[in-house]
Amino acid sequence: MGINRRQFGALLATSLFAPQLFATQGKPLIASAAQNREGGHCLVMLNTVGQEIWSHPLPARAHHVEAHPVQPVIAVIGRRPETFIDILDYQQQRLIKRVYAEAGQHFYGHAVFSSDGRFLLSAENDITTGNGMISVRDVYHDYKIIGQFHSGGIGPHELKMMSDRKTLLVANGGILTHPDQGRAKLNLDSMQPSLAYIDLASGRVIEQVYMPEELQQLSIRHFDINPKDRVAIGLQYQGDKRDDVPLVAFHSRGEALRLVRAPAAVNSAMKQYCGSVRFDKSGEFVAISSPRGNLITFWAQGKSQYIDKISSRDGCGIARTYQPGEFLISTGRGHCYRYNLLRQEREKLSLTLNTPIAWDNHLLSFY
Amino acid sequence: MPPSITKHWFLLALGSMLIANNAAAEISQDSWRRMNQNIVSQHILPGYEELLSQATRLELSTTQLCKAPTTENLETSRHEFRSTLAAWQGIQHITFGPIELLMRSYSIQFWPDKKNLTSKQLNKLLQAEDPDTLTDTAFQTASIAVKGLPAMERILFSDKAIELIQQSPFRCQLLHAISNYVKDQSEDTYREWQAFQTEFTYLESEEGQYESAQEASIDLLKSQIEPLEIIRDLKLIRPLGKQKAKTRRLESWRSQHSLQNIQINLQSLHHMYSGLEGANLYGLLKEQGAIDLANKIEQQFTELEHLIEGIPTPLEQHIHDEVVRNKLQMLAEGIERLGKYFETSMKHIQIQLGFNSRDGD
Repeated sequence: MGINRRQFGALLATSLFAPQLFATQGKPLIASAAQNREGGHCLVMLNTVGQEIWSHPLPARAHHVEAHPVQPVIAVIGRRPETFIDILDYQQQRLIKRVYAEAGQHFYGHAVFSSDGRFLLSAENDITTGNGMISVRDVYHDYKIIGQFHSGGIGPHELKMMSDRKTLLVANGGILTHPDQGRAKLNLDSMQPSLAYIDLASGRVIEQVYMPEELQQLSIRHFDINPKDRVAIGLQYQGDKRDDVPLVAFHSRGEALRLVRAPAAVNSAMKQYCGSVRFDKSGEFVAISSPRGNLITFWAQGKSQYIDKISSRDGCGIARTYQPGEFLISTGRGHCYRYNLLRQEREKLSLTLNTPIAWDNHLLSFY
Repeated sequence: MPPSITKHWFLLALGSMLIANNAAAEISQDSWRRMNQNIVSQHILPGYEELLSQATRLELSTTQLCKAPTTENLETSRHEFRSTLAAWQGIQHITFGPIELLMRSYSIQFWPDKKNLTSKQLNKLLQAEDPDTLTDTAFQTASIAVKGLPAMERILFSDKAIELIQQSPFRCQLLHAISNYVKDQSEDTYREWQAFQTEFTYLESEEGQYESAQEASIDLLKSQIEPLEIIRDLKLIRPLGKQKAKTRRLESWRSQHSLQNIQINLQSLHHMYSGLEGANLYGLLKEQGAIDLANKIEQQFTELEHLIEGIPTPLEQHIHDEVVRNKLQMLAEGIERLGKYFETSMKHIQIQLGFNSRDGD
C-alpha cells in the first residue's frame, strides 16, 4: 500500500521540513487532552487562529498538560490510575519519550517541571501503602528517576513551584484509591486533605495546612499560585450532596487556610465541585470552573472574595491570556471561549478541528 | 453492460446512499427545538402545574385538619398527601432549571435520609413548640430535612397521628406550615418555569441560557436518562439489601407509597420518551435510523410497567417474600437495561450528555 496524503504529511512533520511546517502553521495557542467521538484519547494543539495544528494519539485518558519552561516540550500526564506521561516536542510534532511509572505506582494526572526545567515532578500513588509520592525525573537524562519523596498525604493531585524556585506546593486530595478497585474512593470517612509545602532539595515538608476536621470530606485538588505566592484553591466535596459547604479557599504561607463562599445561590449551583483553578496575567483575579453546575466563577485574591460568574456548558479547562482579567475556557462540548472579566466580554473562538472532540479537564495556554 | 442494468445499479447505489445519509444526518437545530418545546409544554409545565394544584389542595386540607382535628379530616389530608407525593414523583426527574435554585428540590423531598435527619430536626421543633419557627422567614433558614414531604409524612402517618395532633395544636400548625412551604415552592417553580420556557424558543442564542437548541436538549435528555440509575440504586437495590430487605430504606414506606413512586417515575419517563404529541425522542431516534433501538426502549418501558403491576403492595409488607424479592431484582435489572439502551441511543443522535461534568478528577 502506498503512502497516502495524510501519512505523507505526517512524514513531513517529522522530517527536515519540520521548522518550516511550524512557521506556516502558526504559533500554538492552547494544548489539552481530549476525547474524540469514537472514545479515542489524544493531545490536541491549536494555533492562534483556532486551527488544529496537531493531534497526538494517547494510550489512554490524560489529565493535565505542562509546558517546559525553556524547551518547546510539553508533558501530557495520564489520569488516575494510568501509568504514562507522554513527553512531546510540539515544534517537531513528535513523541520524545513515553515515561512509565515505576512498578507498583501510578500517576494522578498532574506533573510539573522544576523552575529551571531540569526535573519533571509528578504526583503518584504507591499502590501497596497508598502513600502519596512525588517522583523526580531528570529531563536531560532520558527522564530517569533520580529521587522520590512523600507528598505529605494520600492522593496528591495538582502540584506547582513557588516563586523561590525551590519549594514545591502539593495538594493532597486525601482520597485513597486502589487500581484493583478502579476509581472507587476507599477512605471517605477518614480522609485528611492538605496543602504541603515541600523543600525540593531535601524532599521534606516544611509547612502543611489541613482542612478543618468538620470539613474533612472537602478534597483539596486543584490550585494556582500567583507571583506573590498567593494560593487559590478549588475544592471538591465528597459528603452528602445536600450539604452546604465552602468550595473555594485561599492560602499564603504562615497563615491559616481561608475558606470562602460564593453567594448562597451560586455556591449551591457550583454543585460541590471545582474542576480547574487559574490566576489571570495580573495575579489578582482567579477563575474557577464548576463543570457540574455549568458555570465559571471569578474571585479577587486581595479580598479573597467572589466577584462574578458566567455560564459555560460542561466547561472545565481554564487558562490565562496575556491580558489582565482575561481567560480562555474549554468545554466538554468541544468549544473554546475567551472571557474578559473586566470588560465582561465573552467571545466564542472559531475552531477548525479535524474531528469533533470533547476537551478534557485542564487547558494549557502558550501565553 | 446493458443500459437497463446500469440504471438499476445506479438507482440501488443512490438508494443506499440516501439511507446512509439519512442515518448519519446531522439533526437540525429546528428538530431539537421542536422536541424541546414539546417536552416543556406537554410534560414539564403540566407536571409542575399538577404539583402546584395538589400541593394547594394539601395545604387546604391541613388548614381544615388543624381547625377540626378529626379522623375524617386526617384521612383527607393523608389522601391529599399521597396525591401531592404522586405529583412530585411525576416531575422529580427534572433536576435542572428553577427547581435547582437553592436546593429547592431537596427541600421538597429530603430523601434518602441515612442519618434520619428529618426525624431529629422535626422532634426538635415539636419539642420546642416555638411559634416563631412557623414563619416564612424561619422556614428560609430551617434545615432542608424538615421543610418537605418526608417531614409531613412523619406527622400524618405516625401510629397515633390523630391523638398526637389533638393533644398538640402546634404539631398540626407545623404540619400546615410545611405544607404551605411546599405549596409556595411548587408555585414559584411553576411560575419560574413559565418564564424559563422562553429559553427553549431559540435555535441559537448568544445571551440565553443555551447557545443552541441542541444544548437545551442535553439538559432534557439528562433528565430522561440519569434518574434511572437513582431509581434502581436508591429506590430498589438499597432497600433490598445484600441478603435481607431493609424496609425502612424504602422511599415513602410510612405512607405505603414505595412501589407507586417507582411506577409513577417510570410512567413519567415513558411519557417524556414517546408519549408527546409531535416530535419526541422516540420519533427522533427512528428518523436517525435507530428504529430497533427506539422500539426496544419503548418495549422495555412497557415490560417494566407490566412487571410492576404484578408486584403486591404495600412493598414493606411483601418485600421479604422471595417471589416479590425476585421480581424487584428483575425490575432493577430491567431499569439498568433501559438505561443502557438510552446511553447507546445517544450515539445515534450525536449527543454527549457530559464529559467534564460527569467524569472529572
